[in-house]
Amino acid sequence: MPEITYLEAIRTALREEMIRDERVFLFGEDIGRYGGAFGVTFGLLDEFGPERVRETPISEAAIVGAATGAALVGMRPVAELMFMDFVLLTMEQLVNQAAKVRFMFGGKGTVPMVLRMPGGSGTGAAAQHSQSLESLLIHIPGIKVVNPSTPYDAKGLLLSSIRDPNPVCFVEHKLLYKVKGEVPEEEYTIPIGAAEVKRKGKDLTVVAGNIMVPRSLAVAEKLSAEGIEVEVVDPRTLRPLDVDTISDSVRKTGRLLVVHEACQTGGWAGEVIASVSSSPAFNYLDAPMRRLAGADVPIPYNRNLEQAAVPQEEDIEREIRALVSNQY
Amino acid sequence: MDNEKLEQYKATIKKPSRKEFMAQIERLGLSYENLIEMYTTMCVIRRFERMADQLYAAGKVHGTMHLSAGQEAVAVGLGRALNLDDYFLNHHRGHGHFVAKDADMNLMMAEFLGKEAGYCKGRGGSMHIADIEANNLGANGIVGGGISLAVGVGLALQMQRKNEIVCVVFGDGAANEGIFHESLNMAALWDLPVLFVCENNQYGMSMQVERATAKLPIAQRAEGYGMRWHHIDGNDVLLVYETMQDVIEHVRSGKGPALVETETYRYFGHSKSDRNLYRTKDEIDEWKEIDPINRFKNLLVDANILTEESAQGIEQDAQKQIDEAVAFAESSPEPDVETLTEFVYA
Amino acid sequence: MPIPFIMPKFDMDQENATVVEWLKDEGEYIELDEAVLTVETDKVAIEVPAPATGKLVKLSAAPGDVVPVTTVIAYVLEDGETEDDLPEEEVVSKVEKAQVTEEIATSEVHPPADIKIEDAQQAGTATPVAARMAQEMGIDLAAVPIAGGRLTKSDIEAYIQTTSLPDGRVKVSATPAARRLSNELGVELISVPGSGPGGRVQADDVRSFESRMAPEIPIDGREADLVPLVGIRRTIAERMQSSFQAAPHIALTVDVDMTQLEAARDRMNAIAEKRDEKRISVTALLVRIIAWVLESNPHINASLVEDTIYLWRDINIGVATAIEDGLIVPVIRKASQKSVREINNDLKNLSVKARDGSLALEEVKDGTFTLSNLGMFGIDQFRAIINPPESAILAVGKVVRKPVVINNQDEIEVRPIMSMTLSADHRVIDGVVAANFLQDLVLAIEAPDILLY
Repeated sequence: MPEITYLEAIRTALREEMIRDERVFLFGEDIGRYGGAFGVTFGLLDEFGPERVRETPISEAAIVGAATGAALVGMRPVAELMFMDFVLLTMEQLVNQAAKVRFMFGGKGTVPMVLRMPGGSGTGAAAQHSQSLESLLIHIPGIKVVNPSTPYDAKGLLLSSIRDPNPVCFVEHKLLYKVKGEVPEEEYTIPIGAAEVKRKGKDLTVVAGNIMVPRSLAVAEKLSAEGIEVEVVDPRTLRPLDVDTISDSVRKTGRLLVVHEACQTGGWAGEVIASVSSSPAFNYLDAPMRRLAGADVPIPYNRNLEQAAVPQEEDIEREIRALVSNQY
Repeated sequence: MDNEKLEQYKATIKKPSRKEFMAQIERLGLSYENLIEMYTTMCVIRRFERMADQLYAAGKVHGTMHLSAGQEAVAVGLGRALNLDDYFLNHHRGHGHFVAKDADMNLMMAEFLGKEAGYCKGRGGSMHIADIEANNLGANGIVGGGISLAVGVGLALQMQRKNEIVCVVFGDGAANEGIFHESLNMAALWDLPVLFVCENNQYGMSMQVERATAKLPIAQRAEGYGMRWHHIDGNDVLLVYETMQDVIEHVRSGKGPALVETETYRYFGHSKSDRNLYRTKDEIDEWKEIDPINRFKNLLVDANILTEESAQGIEQDAQKQIDEAVAFAESSPEPDVETLTEFVYA
Repeated sequence: MPIPFIMPKFDMDQENATVVEWLKDEGEYIELDEAVLTVETDKVAIEVPAPATGKLVKLSAAPGDVVPVTTVIAYVLEDGETEDDLPEEEVVSKVEKAQVTEEIATSEVHPPADIKIEDAQQAGTATPVAARMAQEMGIDLAAVPIAGGRLTKSDIEAYIQTTSLPDGRVKVSATPAARRLSNELGVELISVPGSGPGGRVQADDVRSFESRMAPEIPIDGREADLVPLVGIRRTIAERMQSSFQAAPHIALTVDVDMTQLEAARDRMNAIAEKRDEKRISVTALLVRIIAWVLESNPHINASLVEDTIYLWRDINIGVATAIEDGLIVPVIRKASQKSVREINNDLKNLSVKARDGSLALEEVKDGTFTLSNLGMFGIDQFRAIINPPESAILAVGKVVRKPVVINNQDEIEVRPIMSMTLSADHRVIDGVVAANFLQDLVLAIEAPDILLY
């Protein structure tokens, strides 16, 4: 099976869907000749032309507003925000318009729109270009939030997102763009709202968000040599959250650690833990459910501080060890 | 407007002579039936707004309302100039526009009362009325909320090679939202078929437009975006109709978007909690002298197209229609609580 | 520095001692190890020796005072010291989380001479018993209100009452998985030692506790007919297990010469025949005699309920009766007030009802002693399990004609001998008490006319 990068997987999905469905068009800043800030849309302008690969002025609010309007009358826009941080400029259009139109109008009108945005730290982009804001997004009824961790998941989920009749926030991670993985050439989709057990284990469940998946898997490999078997669950979609898969896993292992880059306070780990607490897994918990999240701090510029601000492999390892040895 | 400006403004308003009037309606291709119909619609709107006010005062309406009495000429002039399947986005003071777009008054009233039979099944209320199938993409509760949506609709219409245009109506306050500027720039950049209508009723909420806007008229901003613009007396229904007809043709032909500013006035406060502390009764009375419905009626009566009796008859019919709508709405069932979480996702 | 004189601990679970009298007075000169004070504990009165040589001052306990162990009750001033050298009063305030060690000497009568002043002045801590209880139950000592100067076992018990849940459960620190497992496995969570932080019970703790309790029984691949543990079988299983686990059983066996009893029985049966009444059974006779003996051995006719032993006034003797699928114990009420004939009639009626399954609740409750006879099944001797809430049960075997030495001479005669084994609850009945009962019983059986006394 061919191996392609996460970035190439996204591009491939865009391309395939634009061929398959002429209503799909791309909408964002510098997505044409430049190929997008990270190069995701490189080459698509040549293939599909400037109408369908439409570069916009620097007007994030209008980008999302226009995408909403276009979706409302039958198009399938895939809008790109250069950095997840800029979603904050679009919150009115995303939350008050796109998320609510269908409901406010009593079930009439649909907004089949995808909003792609790369988030996350590690590139020295500092406080205003490194945030992980998906926790804000999952709070809004009416939108879906997806965050794939592998090229395989990225492609399958992007196709599903474009085909979904609802507004979908497709959250990418900058550090994952260059990661390679096996991706079949044939068409496949991954359903939105389905988590995946990326690694089976019996001693503890780690629920990890995008960039934390490969980190958790690396730690799990290492601990396996000592007889500690960690089960790694990748939710893949944050809203709607696949509580059943997570709960089944915790029921089996009796221990839960949720790891994400987003800041701890108000971070979506709380949502996972509260959901598991209310699930049948509760009676099988043999330790307190814990979260390992980004520090409550804007992302610093200095490289070491930047690393220290978010969970790294050592942190994940430390927390897992403490949990399985009943230190909590 | 302050008194001085208002006097100056009123001085610019000329009542056309009968001859000028007849020439105009011929030019516009309007029959007597058309004119009576327009007049009727204006009356219905006025009555409708009064009824909404009464319903609210009787405690029957949950939440608040934004009434557009006084702005009928814009609603009707614009409404009659657009095609039936042109797309339309509105602001929260949009009952009049809705009625002018031939909305079903029963369903409108039902929506006000939050009933299942309402346009939005009681989920939206006064501020969010929409009729998607009729290409009415809804009233918006966010000031300026519909403007960028309209840009997207225009973009889609262009990509779909359709003949329809999209019209978005917003107020003088919205013109100072950032999204107004982003949207005008984008629409002009791509020559999108968007008609931007700024209904300047002199006030944001309590803020006079002069105190909020660095340079008037608002419509002139379109020049900064290389867009066609007009600034007209919004209380002259035929002038509105004529201007809109012309501009719509321009927009429909793909020559680019346009911005039309219509000067008008609202008699009721911003919302139901508005005590009108920011303007005087005198001012309201001054504007009533150039009330759009009266002006039109006078023209029609002078031209013997309408008599006082028939005008009265029209008023009574309007009232009857509205009373029926209220009766329908009041006897309509409430939505089932069990359906609370429906319609969130498609 | 003045040496603190503490109330010493003599027993492992001793909480307090009562001051009886000071043998030395305030200001008196005392010598190391000299008896200074008499105290009384749960079991016995003890003399407390002086911890040092010097002047006895600041006596702070009076006769009759109940003083918690390790409390400072006086000081010994050494040469050159005065009252000014005494440390300031320590105000007893709240209890800290106890760093409990059981290092304070328990079995020695002399208080250890190397107790540091800081240790001795731990007025704000918990007694070792209380601390151990708290740790086992996962109770935070800081949360327990204290009645007196130190946190004692009764404080913990009082606290448990207040944090008990309405259905009688007690709060235990345990994970949800441990709780679920303890329910499923039928393990009392409160008895499981916890290995988690703060003594929290983890699931593995429950598992290992349970596996220590119940050995694994391999059943795979082996054939068996299955009998579900339900109904009377289950009841018997549960009662027998709880009786055996709760009561420390002792068993005393004695042989009795049945000659006189058999002769008495024959004489009675002659009368019965003449009167056309039922023949008297050996069991009925035994019940009557046992009842008479119990009158003068009240501790055998008793029940332990929580912390109190009830010496029942009525003597209600149950007679273990085999029925289909199990065992039932109909009770002869007030047996000491009935004649042999009456007891015999009762027995006959009850055993018919037992076999019919028509015994009323009245007829099986309030027993105070049980007699179990397997003699008719050829058993010589056996040990029965006490029928709770009773404290003793007598198991009799079959009468066997045996050669015995009589009259303490070397003469041998063949006599009818029956073996009797008394199982007794040692919490209530000590060996000697049980032995006395059996002696009295043997005497009465071998000379039944003394019942006329």
